[in-house]
Amino acid sequence: MDRPCDKLKNMALENPFQDPLRFERRIPECAVAIFGANGDLTKRKLLPALYRLAYERRLSPGFAVVGISRTPMSDDQFRASMHDSVAKFLEDSPFDEEVWSAFAQGIFYMPGDIGDPQAFTNLAVSLKQIEDCRKTAGNVLFYLSTQPSQYAAAAKGIGAAGLAEGKGWRRIVIEKPFGHDLESARGLSNELHEVFRESDIYRIDHYLGKETVQNILAFRFGNGIFEPLWNRRYVKSVQITAAESIGVEGRGGYYQEAGALRDMIQNHLLQIMATIAMEPSATFQPDAVRDERAKLLRTIRVMKPDEVLANSVSGQYGPARIGGADVPGFRQERGVDSQSQTDTYAAATFFVDNWRWAGVPFFIRSGKRLPKRVTEIAIQFNSAPHAVFGDNGDEATPNLLILRIQPEEGISLRFLSKRPGAGMKLRPVSMDFNYGSSFGERSPTAYETLLLDAMIGDATLYTRQDMVEASWGAVEPILNVWQNQKFEFPNYDAGTWGPKAADEMLARHGHNWRTP
Amino acid sequence: MSTTIQPERVLRELAELWVTLGKESDPGHSSGVLRACAMTLITLVEESEDPSDVWSTMAALMPEHPSRAIVIRFRESAARELSSRVFSQCWMPFGHRRQICCEQIEISASDASLPDLAPVVLPLAVADLPVIVWCRSARLFGLPEFPQIAKIAHKLLLDSSAFPDPPGILAQIQGSGKVVGDLAWTRLTRVRELISQIFESRNYLAQLPGVAQVKLTFGGSVPPPAVYYLAAWILDCLESAGAHPRVDWEPALGDPAGQISRVELLSSAPDGLRLAIGISGDRDRRCAEVQIDSLATHTVFPPDNDYSLLREELSIPGRDAVYERSLARASKLAAEKK
Repeated sequence: MDRPCDKLKNMALENPFQDPLRFERRIPECAVAIFGANGDLTKRKLLPALYRLAYERRLSPGFAVVGISRTPMSDDQFRASMHDSVAKFLEDSPFDEEVWSAFAQGIFYMPGDIGDPQAFTNLAVSLKQIEDCRKTAGNVLFYLSTQPSQYAAAAKGIGAAGLAEGKGWRRIVIEKPFGHDLESARGLSNELHEVFRESDIYRIDHYLGKETVQNILAFRFGNGIFEPLWNRRYVKSVQITAAESIGVEGRGGYYQEAGALRDMIQNHLLQIMATIAMEPSATFQPDAVRDERAKLLRTIRVMKPDEVLANSVSGQYGPARIGGADVPGFRQERGVDSQSQTDTYAAATFFVDNWRWAGVPFFIRSGKRLPKRVTEIAIQFNSAPHAVFGDNGDEATPNLLILRIQPEEGISLRFLSKRPGAGMKLRPVSMDFNYGSSFGERSPTAYETLLLDAMIGDATLYTRQDMVEASWGAVEPILNVWQNQKFEFPNYDAGTWGPKAADEMLARHGHNWRTP
Repeated sequence: MSTTIQPERVLRELAELWVTLGKESDPGHSSGVLRACAMTLITLVEESEDPSDVWSTMAALMPEHPSRAIVIRFRESAARELSSRVFSQCWMPFGHRRQICCEQIEISASDASLPDLAPVVLPLAVADLPVIVWCRSARLFGLPEFPQIAKIAHKLLLDSSAFPDPPGILAQIQGSGKVVGDLAWTRLTRVRELISQIFESRNYLAQLPGVAQVKLTFGGSVPPPAVYYLAAWILDCLESAGAHPRVDWEPALGDPAGQISRVELLSSAPDGLRLAIGISGDRDRRCAEVQIDSLATHTVFPPDNDYSLLREELSIPGRDAVYERSLARASKLAAEKK
């Protein structure tokens, strides 16, 4: 008689109970092992996201979480700590004690140091026990919620304890930064590849998990009317803005080493640019989409050293008074060198060297202590070829398609309309689609989406090594020039839209920054 | 009460309503109101029903499924009576300056005026968008003129659990040839989803061909439509996995009538699959206790109310192959059991 495991090998397994029209995607049985379980990311993002997946009944009945960190704690103490964190940091969602209590049965804790091989031996024992009692089928997702400097050591420890291979699948998730330049990014990948296959490495970029970023794909490739306009014939320029109103908020030490170009543009914003500008993929399979994104990143024109200062701007905020309160400059923030040359603002003009985008500038900017928190993409179309209505300001108010990523996810199209009344006077009007109010549904957080994808094995929204290298390839020449410059910082006041040089950079191309 | 409705007049009133809304909202700014519409939703209710229940369901649905909502309230009367009023449902999304509004039309009609209704309702439907007809009353469904109204629907919604003869209504739905959404089926989504989730496990999936018995326990003495639906769906799925189980119907007189209280999938082999799902609670909060092999877990289902059921059905404007397959088999099972 066949045993179940023989049948498993012999049959093409497909769940006959699936009903994709009505059921959400489900996560197969698995355990998630979180390194750095006592850290902020686990408390604020990971556990609330996992709880929410439990609340949505997306997790398998025996789903388990194993937290690993240096702090000595029992399972119950860890559960109590996570209970409070989840209740506090859950976004747009009720906290249900009954759901929590069922979810918490699958939460375990193991004290251990990444530098100690015994920790991994203990983890192996713990995961085996969990596999037996929770029926997780040997599937494990390792999540490194630790300092980036510990990624290689953690992967090595996992490999040495034989945890990278097992009865089920084994995957690893790492957070950015993926290196601090091209060489270190390659070094990190090489170390991860000693233990995990590239297909099992999930480099998380939480921007790609946001609904609107995913909606860009739906918008571009699900509609027939926009794609014909999506090229150099009709698009004049693209602006991508990621502005934060806050400062470094106690992360001065980290931020001083990173800066806006590394922290935002190298990863999040170039990924968004790739999503905006990539060619349609033949299918929506993870590697098909990622291939196109990677191809686009490889076609970004690499600046020559003598082009960098004309096409990029580095900025740092100085002190200001905002809303009746004194706001310190970056150099006055705790943990920041008083002579710091770190960029809290970065802007760059990129060009894409392919047929579709040749000559279209992509203006990208990101900064801290700007007037408001907003991330959006503005696609400016060429004006009508002939001004039939005379000087009605249509040059000053071009057609704009705005894809808002945060805080109010949505899409707006600005066009000209006749003003009511006598005469032919035009004025711009906006056609709005607001994601939240149009669907009324709560959007999943980026971490919910990305954790779900990693557990299902869908890497579409994760960054692949060739993408990381291509984006470092575009950014590194700028960093190299900046490192040899002494900027006169601060060069913009907190609460303003960045340094004057950024306006001048666009003016040289005949453009202005929009005010989001 | 008047005896006629002029669709043109209703449409004019709607147009005037939009102008008024535009003027009223935010007079200092030009943000105005945003008109949202994704379908025409026609709801047929008995006049005896509390209209505020229906309108509050409509209001809850609007943000996700903005529609021109037409509620037709019927009274049992031999006199021909028809009247209408129009109004709007607006909401201001948090943090926004612009209201979003949907149109609502209430029509009062007597049974005798049912033949006059289709020509009134047809021009009121929004062009190029689907028309959904939700019939909340078994009596109205049975009226001879009902098919005239149903004819304009791209999708017909009803709740077979409100009908006195389960085999009869299942056969009638199957014979209608229309795209139908049965809320008795929609109520099963959470349980079906739970069963499906369990078999995402390859270990349990591999044991499916050995399932020899499906046991369904329900309140009352006769199986409600939902029991036939669930049995049909499980049997279809199991057969596609190579199993050929028998179904045991287990009435539990102590349980609330019409509710499914336990679902079991059992293998004949002593070490084979033994899955039991116990369902308890009411529409506001249902819980499921899952026992599979040695693993016991607990799941809380979201509330089952008109809003949540319609929300799901309105998301599926076209045909639902899984439902239609289950309906065909459920109808057959019910006829055999009868």
